[in-house]
Amino acid sequence: MSEQGDSSLQQLMAGLAHELNTPLGAIRSNRDVLQRAISRLLDILADDVVDASEIEQIRGLVNTLDEVVEIDQVAVDVITDLVASARSLWQTDEAVKRSVDLRKVLDSTLLLLGHELKHRIEVVKEYGDLPTVECLPGQMNQVFMNLILNASQVIPEKGTITIRTRSSDGYAVVEISDSGPGIAPDDLERIFDVGFTTKQTKSGMGLGLGISKDIIERQGGRIEVESTPGEGATFRVLVPHAAESSAAR
Amino acid sequence: MSEQNATILVVDDEEMVTSALRSFLSLETAYRVLTFTSPVEALDTTDSEWIDVVIADFMMPEMDGITFLKAVREKRPEATRILLTGYADKENAIRAINEAGLYYYLEKPWDNDHLQVVVRNGVERATLVRELEARAAELESAHEDLAGFRKRLMQALL
Repeated sequence: MSEQGDSSLQQLMAGLAHELNTPLGAIRSNRDVLQRAISRLLDILADDVVDASEIEQIRGLVNTLDEVVEIDQVAVDVITDLVASARSLWQTDEAVKRSVDLRKVLDSTLLLLGHELKHRIEVVKEYGDLPTVECLPGQMNQVFMNLILNASQVIPEKGTITIRTRSSDGYAVVEISDSGPGIAPDDLERIFDVGFTTKQTKSGMGLGLGISKDIIERQGGRIEVESTPGEGATFRVLVPHAAESSAAR
Repeated sequence: MSEQNATILVVDDEEMVTSALRSFLSLETAYRVLTFTSPVEALDTTDSEWIDVVIADFMMPEMDGITFLKAVREKRPEATRILLTGYADKENAIRAINEAGLYYYLEKPWDNDHLQVVVRNGVERATLVRELEARAAELESAHEDLAGFRKRLMQALL
């Protein structure tokens, strides 16, 4: 592994693998339960005679089958959402802009970061109206993942990440605020320099903010940061609305 | 309490996991299975319920599995503690063994036959611990009786 530590893609893969384990565990166990219940039903029916006590058993087994099938549906839905989110993120090299709702992109990112966040970070979503923007959704996802992961990593133990969206002066605005220690004024000026990091250890993604800034600027937008030491930090991503960006072409 | 009516406490913030475990244990065993998606609520239950085996997830929003099992150990020291985790890491396993007196570390996705053996052994262990405690208490009370008898004897004789 490089000095820079995990790339965002590696972290995403680890997150996805972890998130898949839960529904997979349920489905695997349920498949085994289905097999056991069916073989018991077949045993009961083997002599072609069903007596009163067996009717009770059959009812119990059918109830079990019912529960198991219902939970499997939930698990399959979870896996489907995870795969759809991962797919949207991996389309980073797709060079075609699409009209997207950034709130959906944020939700995909959050789903895939579940394992990184859920045990210690409360995510508060304050989504306001947001027109669609024309952008590369995979790249936007990469930016959001970077900002949310950074926010989670600067929060020492438990804390909050607040995500707000709104529309302002032709821009779709996404703000990601953390309840971490904030950023020193000297560091604020250099924070988007490629390679700049305040992180001591391998968890750092020193390339992240510089690359994020690049991605957003290539889409005609900009990225800003505000912070008061001791009161957390807010990163603001502004991307032009679909109408404006197509008019500019 | 016989091993047949043992109580198993299952805690995971994902209902699909608690439900899968309940379906399996209810089909294959006579144990009473209590499931919770909140470790805090599960902990409240240990005040009023006799628990033989507790199976807890590691990563939960309210409280991590190791902290939860440590708290269970305080309230029900005889309950056998099992961690079920999708996040296999050696450091946490060792922490759990040291801090929560972990009996077994299971990884997701788990194998039902294996889980059944681990739970059965866990119930047996809890039953033995309880029997041992009962016998030790009997022994202690017999010892007290003997000491009292000796004292009375000495007083009568001297």
